[in-house]
Amino acid sequence: MLLVALLLLPLAAAVPALVAPRYHPSIAATSAAASGAAFLAALGLARANLRGGVPSIGPEEFLRADGLSAVLALVVSGVACVSLWFGAGYLERVRDHGGLDDARLRRFYVLTNLFVATMLLAVTANNVGVMWVAVEGTTIATAFLIGLEHSKAALEASWKYILIGSIGIALAFVGTVLGYFDFVQRVGEAPHALHWTVLARASPGLNGDVLRLAFVFILVGYGTKAGLAPMHTWLPDAHSEAPAPISAMMSGSLLVVALYAVARWKVVVDAGVGPGYAGRMLILFGLASLVLAAVLLIRQSSYKRMLAYSSVEHIGLMCLGLGLGPLGTLAALLHMIGHAASKSLAFLASGNLLEAYGSPRIASVRGVLRVLPWTGALFLVAALALLGLPPFGLFVSEVMLVRAGFLAGRPWLMGAVLALLVAIFLSFLGHLHRMLFGIPPADVRPGERRPFGLLPLGFNVAVLLALGLVVPEPLLRLLRLAAGVLRP
Amino acid sequence: MSPALFSQLCALGSSLVLITGIAILWRHSLAVYIDYFARQSFVFVLVILGVAAYAGEAELYLVAAMVFLFKVMLIPRILRRVRRHVGVDLEVRPYVNVPASVALAGLLTLIAYAVTRPVVEISGLPTRAGIPLALAVVFVGLLIVVSRRSALAQIVGFLVLENGIALLAILATYGVPLIVELGAFLDVLLGFLVMQVFVYRIRETFDTIDVDRLSGLRH
Repeated sequence: MLLVALLLLPLAAAVPALVAPRYHPSIAATSAAASGAAFLAALGLARANLRGGVPSIGPEEFLRADGLSAVLALVVSGVACVSLWFGAGYLERVRDHGGLDDARLRRFYVLTNLFVATMLLAVTANNVGVMWVAVEGTTIATAFLIGLEHSKAALEASWKYILIGSIGIALAFVGTVLGYFDFVQRVGEAPHALHWTVLARASPGLNGDVLRLAFVFILVGYGTKAGLAPMHTWLPDAHSEAPAPISAMMSGSLLVVALYAVARWKVVVDAGVGPGYAGRMLILFGLASLVLAAVLLIRQSSYKRMLAYSSVEHIGLMCLGLGLGPLGTLAALLHMIGHAASKSLAFLASGNLLEAYGSPRIASVRGVLRVLPWTGALFLVAALALLGLPPFGLFVSEVMLVRAGFLAGRPWLMGAVLALLVAIFLSFLGHLHRMLFGIPPADVRPGERRPFGLLPLGFNVAVLLALGLVVPEPLLRLLRLAAGVLRP
Repeated sequence: MSPALFSQLCALGSSLVLITGIAILWRHSLAVYIDYFARQSFVFVLVILGVAAYAGEAELYLVAAMVFLFKVMLIPRILRRVRRHVGVDLEVRPYVNVPASVALAGLLTLIAYAVTRPVVEISGLPTRAGIPLALAVVFVGLLIVVSRRSALAQIVGFLVLENGIALLAILATYGVPLIVELGAFLDVLLGFLVMQVFVYRIRETFDTIDVDRLSGLRH
């Protein structure tokens, strides 16, 4: 029941936006409320898991929410709720400045709700084919959202996104077909052969060579969508050109939904070819992403692109974690939640910066703490969290990750990771310092536009602090359950 | 029909699908790209019908009908309309010249044979000879996307890649379960429709569909 509610709520919220003759603030309120209710449903799924059950519905568990799905559903719906709640007022102000019209605003809510629904379907579908269909669905739903504010740059970003994203996902389908082929060869045609639970059960008997080939396609394919280097090329463009609420959802949740798909397949591959193979590939791509982010963050001139490259960094860290055994997996999951909270906070706050300064360039933004004291403070919190400083959640997960690396007997790898993190830290901090302090440009009017609009962002700060100070006991148990799902 | 004959027919059909893909790399004009894509899809429909008849899989007739309706009829028609609208043909200067792209396609076919060896080895189906060719079609589609300057040609490349994947699914497993098949088909169709809308927008905004001009965003 909860599972059905989780998926139907955002779909239902798309309906008023679709049929209304014109945009009305109630459309925005409905969407925010629907994703809030979806968050409650996800909490319900988490609670069911903590009580030892795995909610499922449909023939042979068509929809299924184990611990891992519950964590992802919480991330997706939580980020969506905050983004839509904050976005309601923000987008209306953009419209009032002439950046949008009512028709496009209405379209925003149709597509955004579909976007949320496809992400939620991707993380709760038991059938890996349906999971694939849903991930591809996210590309289609978001393609028009990036270019919502019709500009040349946004159009360029959308084209790269849809083309590269569709091709990446198509390659993931090759991997899916190969996995299915392997199953059919060994077990014969079974009605639910593409169900993850069935695949995972059969995987020890599958052909290792075929599974290895399948995983290459899976990792490159879904990895494209997750923004792993070197398939990341679309990401900085799309995440920086999209409107703030969409940037927040794409960075905070869409990337990890794609990584989730990789993790599901990793379980099957690990059981078939033994641990190590998939992990080594994940470490390779994770490290490549870290290197790329470290090199390109130094010379960023736009703050939204800076945040986008920081997403490449953090996805890389999560990849490393997934490749470093059970403790690393736990760290990756904790990191995922912390990253979702901090990156969505940073992107939403950057929307206010763009509004006040009228420019995405770091060089044009000076004295944020004086011009927008609240937004500036929130941006600072998000940035410090992203840099992995205490007392925020990402500090805990990064320490855990490094420990997992040393315990896994990879001191050299961890040395490299730490060096890269320091490089990223320094360049990020330099940009941040220039933006927050200094004398604001004369033509920028100081003062928050709508301080109460910032209220939803308090949720992100609370999550970051809770994760950083003491990880709440039920959450830790849920994360352990989720990490257990990923154990071969 | 004897399994040996059927197996040879499958290999022949897959080769034709691959050759029509490579033919796109050979030519310079968008109109020809679209014609070759339609021909490729038509050959693909024949392969599906052959497999459906031999294996007695009723679902595959439905798949064949959908591929015919969309990939042979509807999508080429839309592509021709877009091409007429955007007018100019800029494929006279692709990034990679013809001899190099055909040589690359040959190399990619060899790679496809090398990587699919474990798949062909364990497959018990008479269609297995076509599996490397199907993966080669996927690679050729990728090559079309990266070597062409026109957004429309990139769409054709994506569609060729898609045909390769669908062919792979048919040859390796007589098709994936119907719900996934339908979902995947819907995704491709929607993705294609979104892409062609963007071609119009790019044309309106940049006055060309040369993706070389889409270079405002760097690093």
